[in-house]
Amino acid sequence: MIRHWTRGQWALRLVVLIGPVLATLAAGPTGDPPGRFALVVVVATSLGSALAPESPAGTLAFATVLLSWGLGGSAVTPPEVVLAAGALVAAHVAALVVSYGPGDVPLDRRLTLTWLVRGAVLFLVAPVVWLLATALEGQPEPAGLWMTGVAALVVAAVVANTALGSRMTR
Amino acid sequence: MVSRPQWRPTAATSRAAVIATAGAVAAVLAGRPTLLVLVAPLVVAAALALAGRPRATPVVRTDLDHRALHEGQGTTARLVLSDADDVEQITRVASLGPFLRAQPAGGRVTGLLGAEPVDLEFSPQRWGRRVVGEEVVALTSGWSGFRWGPQTIVGDQVRVLPVGLHYASRAESPQPRGLVGAHRSARPGSGTEFAGIRTFVPGDRLRRINWRVSARTDEVHVTATRAEEDAGVLLVVDAIADHGISGGVEGVESSLDLTVRAAAAVAEQAVRQGDRVSLRVLGGSSLQVSYGSGKRHLARVLATLAAIQLGPADEDGWERLQLRATEGTMVVVLSPMMAGVVATLTATATRRGLPTLVVDTMPEAVSLERHTASSGGLRRHRAMTESSHLVDLAWRMRRLEREQVLASLSALGCTVVPWRGPGTIDEVTRTLARRARRPHLRLR
Repeated sequence: MIRHWTRGQWALRLVVLIGPVLATLAAGPTGDPPGRFALVVVVATSLGSALAPESPAGTLAFATVLLSWGLGGSAVTPPEVVLAAGALVAAHVAALVVSYGPGDVPLDRRLTLTWLVRGAVLFLVAPVVWLLATALEGQPEPAGLWMTGVAALVVAAVVANTALGSRMTR
Repeated sequence: MVSRPQWRPTAATSRAAVIATAGAVAAVLAGRPTLLVLVAPLVVAAALALAGRPRATPVVRTDLDHRALHEGQGTTARLVLSDADDVEQITRVASLGPFLRAQPAGGRVTGLLGAEPVDLEFSPQRWGRRVVGEEVVALTSGWSGFRWGPQTIVGDQVRVLPVGLHYASRAESPQPRGLVGAHRSARPGSGTEFAGIRTFVPGDRLRRINWRVSARTDEVHVTATRAEEDAGVLLVVDAIADHGISGGVEGVESSLDLTVRAAAAVAEQAVRQGDRVSLRVLGGSSLQVSYGSGKRHLARVLATLAAIQLGPADEDGWERLQLRATEGTMVVVLSPMMAGVVATLTATATRRGLPTLVVDTMPEAVSLERHTASSGGLRRHRAMTESSHLVDLAWRMRRLEREQVLASLSALGCTVVPWRGPGTIDEVTRTLARRARRPHLRLR
């Protein structure tokens, strides 16, 4: 199976493997380094996801990364979380492109380029939310702020799809 | 084939939705904005993917540009989509049978719909009937939200005609017995081939008068010419066994490859000369084509050659086999001469006085290993005996028997020539033509 992978497939699967690991390790500089067990689980599940991008291993890897960050005791939102979000986006997009076909399907240049742009756009959401979170840190929380924030994010995504979706695919 | 599978969320959509939901809920419950930053891109990704949920179920089929090809030629399988407004991306994975090449290599292609045509090109590398265009197709909606398929699309059968290499033959037919054609006849007539000068007899055309000789001899003389007639060519193709390994049109040739391609080349040349061609296939499907000429008849002959299938010799049936070759027909037997019944048939035709030519289609390079790779009988024998020495011996004995058969046919007066490409039979047919003009006894 592996020996039939094209060069592009190898590169993308490497991103699928490294992305969640990098996202986990990014918590280190914040003073809350990830536990060894969590790291081992992330490496194992990421490897599974790289080998079989359509399997639930990818979801498990991402969930472990979330858990690792969630268990941290830091009260502030560190800038490293943006790097972690970027690594997760990269792994997600790489797994998505890889799962368009079997491992020996050569990557389409235009398709890969489209997803590179989309990945960059998705990543930009993370620094925006981080800036917002940093700006609101230490201020009293109005009632329903979090729910409103999440709902606004979803609505923004749907609007963005309506406005940009068709233009980006053509 | 038309079928209607349903759209299903992709693994990427499921992953993004699960992680986005879990992260957002955890962020809200624990009051941790860090988690929200982490999953915010995935929230957007999941929302975009789910928002593009397709409404129509597409209908997919493939169209081949050609239904009949020559070996090595290519055709394009075009994907025809209906109700595909929601489709963003296409993946096609072709199933490549033996002797079938595809472009892109491996028959796998993916691409955005509308950007460039996501077409697959197929090129059959060996004559015969091949299934082309069998593939698995998967469609994906915008932002890789939903997937339709993978759906198998059944291919179409394509007739792959043998390559009949064109060559310009100048050899005449040994015994032309037709009406109008390109061969010099033994009888006088209104052709262009000079036969002699003779005295004028009533009925001669005035434009044939040779005034120079008439003036010199004081008697009217005319220039006599030979008639030009067409000839009949009966192609006897041995499809009882295939010796050697076929590597397709650009690779090594097995005995059946040589046989079929040689038959195609001879048939093309004969038809181009205006001769009548008939085909008889020995073994397997026992196909035959009656005498005829012209391009449509050639197409029929090539199609029959493409339909040849290997089959064992039916000894009882062949004892009653009649070649139905009339006088003047040149019989061309294309065979590796490993089956006794073909040798018997050839000897019978030779004894009948028919100009018979054996084109030996046993490949020069066929070795024991190559033979055993394609011959089930010897391979089974090898497995049973576990002794390569015995198999070697058996193969050598078979080759010796073959040489003896060819020598016996030569002794009978049958010309045996190994196939060396187009033009192989030219020299032989010239010899046969010279021999036909000599007086000889004929056995009936």
